[in-house]
Amino acid sequence: MDSSELANNPQLLQYLNQQKEKAMVNQAVSKLTSVCWDKCITDKPGSKFSSSESSCLTHCAQRYMDMSMLIMKRFQQ
Amino acid sequence: MDSYSSPPMGSGGRAVSPEAIMEQMESQLANAYAEEFVETLREKCFDKCVTKPGSSLGGSESSCISRCVDRYMEATGIISRALFTKRS
Repeated sequence: MDSSELANNPQLLQYLNQQKEKAMVNQAVSKLTSVCWDKCITDKPGSKFSSSESSCLTHCAQRYMDMSMLIMKRFQQ
Repeated sequence: MDSYSSPPMGSGGRAVSPEAIMEQMESQLANAYAEEFVETLREKCFDKCVTKPGSSLGGSESSCISRCVDRYMEATGIISRALFTKRS
């Protein structure tokens, strides 16, 4: 298979698209984990999360998404 | 020339199959993700656990680092569930 054939190979194109999507998901999760860790885990990490730490992490991720929607809307007006 | 800019060639100079490319990408991507994650762990846990670097890593710093690694992995799971589980 030469390189032009390869560039149009449907199996390969599908794989690349899947990986692109996976990379975007991965990036969003690592970005939010970093931001929310800094915001919610203020003490030295213990042997398990307190319930307030884990609910802070969950809320942090959800509010961050709400906020991005707001910011997007702000520029669509 | 690195492996990203050179065309995908087999050892005989012949282009390789899509399967071989996917397989190679799979392992390169896995390595890249792992490397990036470990770099984040170093940054976050050093920040949290080594607040005043001394002449060596103390016992309490080491145990803090090991808890920090566990908690950061747990946090990654919590965040991804928060993002991808439908809210009622």
